[in-house]
Amino acid sequence: MKLSGVLWALLTGAVLLFLLAPVAVLIFSAFDDGKFFRFPPRELSLRWFGAALDSPEYRGALINSTIIACVSTAISVTAGLMAATGLSRGGLKSRALVELLLLAPLTLPLVVWAIALLQIYARLGISGTFGGLVLAHAVITLPLSVRILLATLAGIDPQMEEAARSLGARPLRAFLRTTFPLALPGVLTAAVFSFLVSFNDVVVTTFIAGARWMTFPVRMYSQLRGQGVDPITLAIGAMIVALILAAVIAGELKFKWSRRL
Amino acid sequence: MLAAKSARGLVAPAVLLTAGVFLAPFLLLLAMSLWSQPPGSLMLDVTPTGEHYRRITTDSYYMTGLARTIWLSLATTAICAALALPLAWWIVRRAGRFRGLVLAVVLIPMVCGALLPTLGIVNLIGPLGVLNGTLKSLGLIDRSWKLLGTQAGILIGLVHAFLPLMVLPLVAAMDRLPRDAEGAAMSLGARRRAVWTRIILPLCAPGLLAGSALVFCATLTAFVTPLILGQGKIPTFATMAYQQASLVLDWPFASALAVVMLAILAAIGALGWAIRQALPGAAR
Repeated sequence: MKLSGVLWALLTGAVLLFLLAPVAVLIFSAFDDGKFFRFPPRELSLRWFGAALDSPEYRGALINSTIIACVSTAISVTAGLMAATGLSRGGLKSRALVELLLLAPLTLPLVVWAIALLQIYARLGISGTFGGLVLAHAVITLPLSVRILLATLAGIDPQMEEAARSLGARPLRAFLRTTFPLALPGVLTAAVFSFLVSFNDVVVTTFIAGARWMTFPVRMYSQLRGQGVDPITLAIGAMIVALILAAVIAGELKFKWSRRL
Repeated sequence: MLAAKSARGLVAPAVLLTAGVFLAPFLLLLAMSLWSQPPGSLMLDVTPTGEHYRRITTDSYYMTGLARTIWLSLATTAICAALALPLAWWIVRRAGRFRGLVLAVVLIPMVCGALLPTLGIVNLIGPLGVLNGTLKSLGLIDRSWKLLGTQAGILIGLVHAFLPLMVLPLVAAMDRLPRDAEGAAMSLGARRRAVWTRIILPLCAPGLLAGSALVFCATLTAFVTPLILGQGKIPTFATMAYQQASLVLDWPFASALAVVMLAILAAIGALGWAIRQALPGAAR
């Protein structure tokens, strides 16, 4: 390889290392036996992972996050699949406008929206409730679902579903037996990304979460703002990041996720 | 083909959710930024007043904060572009079968949310963190390099968080470049540098522009990263708005700060659109 090729590879490697470093450090620091992370650590242990699995207060926040993410993902993927089907198969005259509207939340700033939502929720008395959180999370994940599913349906021939219809299948049955199985990788991608966005969200949730429905990221955020992180949070964060990493690498290799975003 | 009526029915839930829950609050925000809240009370006075906007434009705390935020956003955008160009080019032309894996690494900051990588960065650049620990044990420094609580620390976090927003549009733009364009230019006598400045960069300009707009806007409105890596010592416009809304509970004033952010983003969007129109090949 020529010198310029070597330099190029080194530069790329450095950027990739920079992208990976924070996550790698997070996982590594969870193995530090001490109460405060320092590098190089005096001793490594699994102590904080054990403590994390035993701690009921963290389990509560994690369960809240999981429930909210599951429900809002279900809403986001269902509404997203319906909208993508209507848009790509319906021949609507206003298609461009509707698409622009549905994808708008991807480009508009979420903090600005959250500051408005906080005040509306307070007026309606749904701040910090389960319904309020799920509604907000469904709305911020919906555009992702719509975009992923529009791209998915664009690659599926509508004639198969029409053939099933002409052979006498009812509309829903024809859809479920022809288009849906073909769209399943896209549906799965939309579900995983919606879940991750909802599960990790702190930008919107920190404004509207209350003591009753505290999510894990909001809890961690208030810790980070205040006294600093305790090692149990670090251990849970490390486990979450490792899971996400495994899921994303598997998804990229199997379903080419980066092309659908 | 679906009947127009059933197509409308299918689209309706998503449209209602987005228009009703997402877009409507933006309109209300404009009204709420003109209301006021007497000191020490949570009751609202709904007589319209421009007082909050006057306070933002005349108080030097907010104006320096705004200037600092714009400077941080420009710096983040420039650094992201400088890092993303070689990486995207390598992904498109040289990665081969590692392409998928490398793209998965690029996606990390996007799929992990704002918080978890920031937590890693705290342990990476903190006074007892990996960077300082390594430099000290190598004997390169004897006192910790202070990054947490400084603008440099915030920049590291912002560049990390938003680099994918620059890399993905660039990869898409470079994927569309014909593979033989550079070869053709070089066979006509162009040098490497000329190939980049006269062929590759102009053809990737739309991707670079899209990435820059995304990174700039994301940085301008980021508050989690600046608050944690700046340790509350370096207020940016978004952290000020967050503090007013969540801690001070002066919601009308927070609304005004949010409207100012929105206005800046609209200006950036218009500027980006104008540049896009001026680029060669815009009509196609």
